[in-house]
Amino acid sequence: MSLVKHKVVQLAVPDKPQPERSCSEPASSLKNADAAGRRQAAREIAQFPDAAVTLVSHLKCERNAAVREVILTTLVRLNDRSAVSGLADCLRSEDAALRNEVIGTFKRLGDEVVPVLRSLLADPDPDVRIFVVNILDSELHPEVESWLIDVIERDTHVNVCATAVDLLCEVGTEAAIDPLVRLKARFQFEPYIQFAADLALKRIREV
Amino acid sequence: MRRILIVDDAATVRMYHRGILESAGYLVEEAWNGIEALEKALEAPFDLYIVDINMPKLDGYGFLRELRQQQIAQQPAVMVSTEAAAGDERMAYQSGANSYLVKPVVQSQLLSHVRLLLGEANQ
Repeated sequence: MSLVKHKVVQLAVPDKPQPERSCSEPASSLKNADAAGRRQAAREIAQFPDAAVTLVSHLKCERNAAVREVILTTLVRLNDRSAVSGLADCLRSEDAALRNEVIGTFKRLGDEVVPVLRSLLADPDPDVRIFVVNILDSELHPEVESWLIDVIERDTHVNVCATAVDLLCEVGTEAAIDPLVRLKARFQFEPYIQFAADLALKRIREV
Repeated sequence: MRRILIVDDAATVRMYHRGILESAGYLVEEAWNGIEALEKALEAPFDLYIVDINMPKLDGYGFLRELRQQQIAQQPAVMVSTEAAAGDERMAYQSGANSYLVKPVVQSQLLSHVRLLLGEANQ
C-alpha cells in the first residue's frame, strides 16, 4: 500500500504583538523564593538575553551553596562574554568560597576565557593575578607555559611569582630554566622563591 | 613528638613548610584541601594546624569552622594566605584561626608562631 502524504497546511498566523521577553520574573524569584525556587529561577533565566548579568549580580549575594552551583553551571552553559567577565569580577570578592567556586568554574569554561585570563594577568590587584595563575593549567591553552614565564620575568609581586613557579614545577620545560634562574636572582632574599625555583629547576632537568 | 597538619593545595608550599617544621622536630602530615584535612583531623586530632585560605572543595575558612564545631578538635590553627587584605585576616580569626601569616612565610616567623601557640615559646 502506498503511503499517502498529506500536504502540510501552513496556517497563517495573524500579526499579534508578542509580549517582550524579560527576565524580570525569574530575577525576582532569585531574590525572593526559597532555595528550591531560586535554583529553578537560575535555570529558567538562562533563556533571556540579559541572563549572565542578572545571574552574576545575584551570585555575589547568594549564600546557599546549591543555588550558587546552579548559577555557576548556568553561566558555564551560557559561556558568553558577559558570563566570563562577570565571573572574572567575582575573583575580587571577599568571599573565599565564591572565589574558589569561580576558579573551578573558569576551569570548566572553554576558549572564551583565554583572552580574559590573559588580560587579568595584568590586573592591578595581585590577588586577582594569583587567582588567574591558579586557573591556568597546561590543558587550558598551549601557551600557558609562556604566560607563566612572562609572569616570573615581569611581575613584581612575590606571591604572584611564587604561584607561577608552583605551576611551572608541573608544566615547566627547558624554556623556563633561564627565567627561573633570573627569578632567583631578582628575589634573592625570599627563601620561598629560592626553594620553589630550585624545585622547579630540578624537576625540569630530570625530565 | 608534636603533630602538625599542613593544609594547602600547593604541593610546593606543603613541601616548604614541611621542611621547616620537620627540621625543628615536629611530626608533619599534609592535606591538599579542607575535606581531606577534616577527615584526618577527625580521625586523630593534631596538635596544630597550618591552613591556607584558598583551596578547592573546602577552603581554609570552611575547614576551620567545621573543625571548631567538633568538640574534640580545639587545637590551635595558623592561617596562611597570599592575601594581605584586612577582611581576610578578620575572617580568619572569625573562622577560628589563632594567628594569621601572609605568604611567603619565612622560617623564623613560622616557627615563632608555632612555638607560641604550642606553649613552647620559652623552650
